[in-house]
Amino acid sequence: MADRHLHPANGNSAPSQFGGAAPFFVGLVVALILGWWAFPQMLFSQKHQPVRFSHKVHMEGAGMECKSCHFLREDGSYAGLPTTESCAECHSEPMGEDPEEARFIEEYVNTGKEVEWLVYQKQPDNVFFSHAAHSVDSCNNCHEFTETELCSQCHPNVAETDEAPVYYENKLTKYSKQTMKMWRCERCHANPEHFGTTRSSNACYVCHK
Amino acid sequence: MAVDRRGFLKFVAGVSAGVMVTPIPWKLLDDASIWTQNWPWIPSNVDGASTYVSTVSKLCPSCVGMKVRLVGDRPVRVLPDDNHPLSKGGISSLAVAEAQMLHSPARVKRPLKRAADGAYVAISWEEADALLAEKLAAAKGSLACVSGDETGSINDVLSAMTGKAGSSNFYLMPSEAQPAAKAVAAMGGEGQLGYDIENSDYVLAIGANILESWGTVIRNRAAFKATRPHGEEPAATFVFAGPVQNNTAAGADQWVPIKAGTEGAFALGIAHLLIKAGATADAADFSAFARLAGTFTPAKVAELTGVNEDQLKDVAKALLKARRPLVITGSEFGQGTGAASVLAGVAVNMLLGGLNRKGGLKLLPVAGPVVDGAMTRAEMLGKDFVAYMSRINAGKDKAPAAMVFYEANPAYALPQAAKMAEVLAKVPFKATFTTFLDETAMLCDLVLPVPMGLERLDDVATPYGSGQALYCLARPVAPMPAHVKPAGDYIIALAGKLGMDLGVGTWEEVLQAKARAMGADWDSLMDGNVHVSSSTVNAQPAFGAGMLQKGIATKAAEGDYAIAPVHKLNVGTAKTAIPPYNNKTIRRWELQGKELYVAMNGATARKLGVMKHDKIVVSNKSGSISARVNIFEGVMNDTVAVLMGLGHTAFDQFSKGKGENVMQLLTVGFESGTGLSVWNMAGATISKA
Amino acid sequence: MEIKEFKVKWGMAIDLDKCTGCGACMVACQAENNLAPIADASNKIKVMNWLVVYELSNKKPFPEHDVAYLPRPCQQCGHPPCVSVCPVVATDKNEEGGIVSQIYPRCIGCRYCMAACPYHARYFNWLDPVWPEGMEKALTPDVSVRPRGVVEKCSFCHHRFMKAKDKAIAEGRDPEALADGDYVTSCAEACPNGAIVFGDLNNPDHQVYHLSRSKYASRLLERLHANTQVYYLSRREWVRRQLDNYLDNEKVKG
Repeated sequence: MADRHLHPANGNSAPSQFGGAAPFFVGLVVALILGWWAFPQMLFSQKHQPVRFSHKVHMEGAGMECKSCHFLREDGSYAGLPTTESCAECHSEPMGEDPEEARFIEEYVNTGKEVEWLVYQKQPDNVFFSHAAHSVDSCNNCHEFTETELCSQCHPNVAETDEAPVYYENKLTKYSKQTMKMWRCERCHANPEHFGTTRSSNACYVCHK
Repeated sequence: MAVDRRGFLKFVAGVSAGVMVTPIPWKLLDDASIWTQNWPWIPSNVDGASTYVSTVSKLCPSCVGMKVRLVGDRPVRVLPDDNHPLSKGGISSLAVAEAQMLHSPARVKRPLKRAADGAYVAISWEEADALLAEKLAAAKGSLACVSGDETGSINDVLSAMTGKAGSSNFYLMPSEAQPAAKAVAAMGGEGQLGYDIENSDYVLAIGANILESWGTVIRNRAAFKATRPHGEEPAATFVFAGPVQNNTAAGADQWVPIKAGTEGAFALGIAHLLIKAGATADAADFSAFARLAGTFTPAKVAELTGVNEDQLKDVAKALLKARRPLVITGSEFGQGTGAASVLAGVAVNMLLGGLNRKGGLKLLPVAGPVVDGAMTRAEMLGKDFVAYMSRINAGKDKAPAAMVFYEANPAYALPQAAKMAEVLAKVPFKATFTTFLDETAMLCDLVLPVPMGLERLDDVATPYGSGQALYCLARPVAPMPAHVKPAGDYIIALAGKLGMDLGVGTWEEVLQAKARAMGADWDSLMDGNVHVSSSTVNAQPAFGAGMLQKGIATKAAEGDYAIAPVHKLNVGTAKTAIPPYNNKTIRRWELQGKELYVAMNGATARKLGVMKHDKIVVSNKSGSISARVNIFEGVMNDTVAVLMGLGHTAFDQFSKGKGENVMQLLTVGFESGTGLSVWNMAGATISKA
Repeated sequence: MEIKEFKVKWGMAIDLDKCTGCGACMVACQAENNLAPIADASNKIKVMNWLVVYELSNKKPFPEHDVAYLPRPCQQCGHPPCVSVCPVVATDKNEEGGIVSQIYPRCIGCRYCMAACPYHARYFNWLDPVWPEGMEKALTPDVSVRPRGVVEKCSFCHHRFMKAKDKAIAEGRDPEALADGDYVTSCAEACPNGAIVFGDLNNPDHQVYHLSRSKYASRLLERLHANTQVYYLSRREWVRRQLDNYLDNEKVKG
């Protein structure tokens, strides 16, 4: 202790007002870079859809609508994604030249295997989401949403894309980066203006199962 | 630039401060909490479109109609079927988890062969085919075949194969249909007894456990439901007579305690009172019957059955007062009863003018065999497997060289179970077609896995107890496991290999022929519809008084205490054991860990000097079981009520080693007159352990 | 304490004279709500059952003895004792229909609610749910599977309420005015004796509305004023007497 007191520090380091704080700021900047740039890179892994699917080709080329594949079933449940069987209604044989289509037919249609599509908004098992309740009819009592606008409140709009967006999977939770958290549901459900006009109460069992 | 200690600390402080304004701690904390919500070993929900398929249960003895809910291609639920006459919006505790049982750990997944050291080894179907064909060919007619399916056309195929092999030893597992068939034969009638419970306003069940296990129980219960709107006076009266206040007694308006196995005497006591009140019937041997019934005075019946005389008289009075009374005799545990008690029950119905009357007893038409050389249903029901086994045991009959079981578990389900297993051991070659690895499979040299009812095409033709002739199909709703084969086609092919011509090419042809024989439309059946016929057999049957007189003589049971087996469907059958989801429905004081609880009333317990939870041994010359005591006042004096369906030594963790098998205590006797094997009057001695 | 009232109030009327104790409701409940089987189910402390069938006895000796069976789902109290003790609001009663909710990922497993419930309707997952290999394929997609460490209870098959509403929307009907029978619980649906009637206690078009007003109807431990939504009917006086703590000389309701 005594020695240190007698020989304060390295003689070369000029005691300056800011120089003393420099390591702090270096640390701060390192942490910020780490936290805002490196951490998200580390936390999320990038995944691509197992089949390169072009919404654009189907919408513009084949003249299909969103509803052709994403529709409410008769019992009120929602057919989020088409089954291989329904794809095979058209694609039992290749319709174009695209090698990806040929691969899809060979790997899925011919084997009857379902495509493990990556769902950007996949919710946990304990969440019940009713597509039937979140309808244009219901929301447009006050809003003036087009169907696309309404769906895009939660889902990425892929209708005009040729290639599906990259899927970022949280390595820890295994959910998609875009999966909505409860606070985003509460944008509407906890909004007092919605009470009375819609059935969007914020009661637990309205959304949980 | 060298970093000194102070500089380093400043750097760390900078990092720490910086990290706090980045997502690292907050996002990690949040994600970690989400991570803890989804452990990989917790199954997750798999979504899909729901579809519903109407079919019928081949697993539940009630042949209950059901709607299977599939999500995608997975069956997930078995639901009641409002449109099926054997469901009418209800489902049994057994069938309701049938979809789950598709994945039972007790299922046999591939053919098994017993090696020389007794261990089972998986073999290919080719090997199994070769072995079975070789052994059956070598048996040269020294063959016996046992079927545990009471209602299916598979019996046509099996009996034809057995017959063409030169053997008459095709048997059904014992049930209530056999004594009923003997009774119809003794009366000189034909067809199958049917019970029109729906249209009756007074149902007297003597022994028959009509609200829990007897006959087409879910349809019985639908009739029960229909007559009693919530909180209102019932439109029909249900009365149960039996030794234990079982589930039927719990639903019935009145419980009449009578000793186990005295159903016939009780019915004759009723007949006596009815005749005294002027009842008569247009039958050739009415006077002979009246003479017999004349000896069953209330006092004598009270002595024989332990019934309260006043209660007996009240029941007789109520029967006379009812517009459409119906009497059903049976066994509380679905087997072991003689033809005499059925005859006595039918006699009471005849005295009440209930034969082929609305809300009465019916004689239903039976379809003939549809396979070349197959037995008729009457012939099948005339065969007595327990008697056959007893003859082999006594050396009066030779053990066959080969025995084939189809969905039957005699090693567990027959009376004197231990003895029966010994007799089975005398058979050099045994093969079983089974879904589950049951006690019988564990005795067999070859185990051939068959699909469950939900995975195969099969049929149900007028189950015993039904009020009308009907026919329906079980349709495959789930894919069959890879190494499992349906028995129908397999046996037809096997017969061909053995050089027998059954006159049919495929199993589906057999079913189509049966549908035609029943007068049903195949396409409609394949759509899940049920063919129902209201026709009855016109007959002028006699009372069968001679046979009744011989059969009714009750023998004194062994020991000081009577054993009353209690049959509950939720505990499963010999074929299913306790289904995984049904385990929890077993009551706390029916089973604790591995220990069986038996029930007796307080007076009996005092007489024995035992209290609740005390250990006792119940034994007779057939066997012995150890158990603990539960006090239940709904049991007759000097009677122990023992839950059936426990004490399995095979199957899986949900059944194996739990409690004891009451069948070990049931001693086989033979009814005089019919010669039918009976075991509904077991007695035992009880000692403290 | 104020009783929570709703325009729609789901409830049951269970006729104890019709129940014969077969257990079909208990099995149907497990299959519907993804409860795991257990090898030793005689250990009733660790067994999970949202619905239990109790045995009642008139406590008279043979031959005067009578027996009855009482199916006990969650009673969905009007002011639920479990809700007020939950430190994390994992259980609540705040939705149209009056069903007491239980949110599994929110539950911290403190079991205060279990201590508070007068009906033993709540169960704690002492063990992880385990299905025999392959049996998880028969799970329904309607109810999330609960891990070890959380409390669960009967939800009146709430997912069926959701589905009934969705179906009504898809068919252009009013999801807030479901007809009698549009939404029934799995136990009520399965019962071969029709002992359980389910519906809206506030809607005169529903059968339960009238049954709950029957002179034979009473509720379990009514004098706790939990204001439950499950009514029990019996024409037998001794059965009704056992539904609450009556004094020996006290007159029983109905």
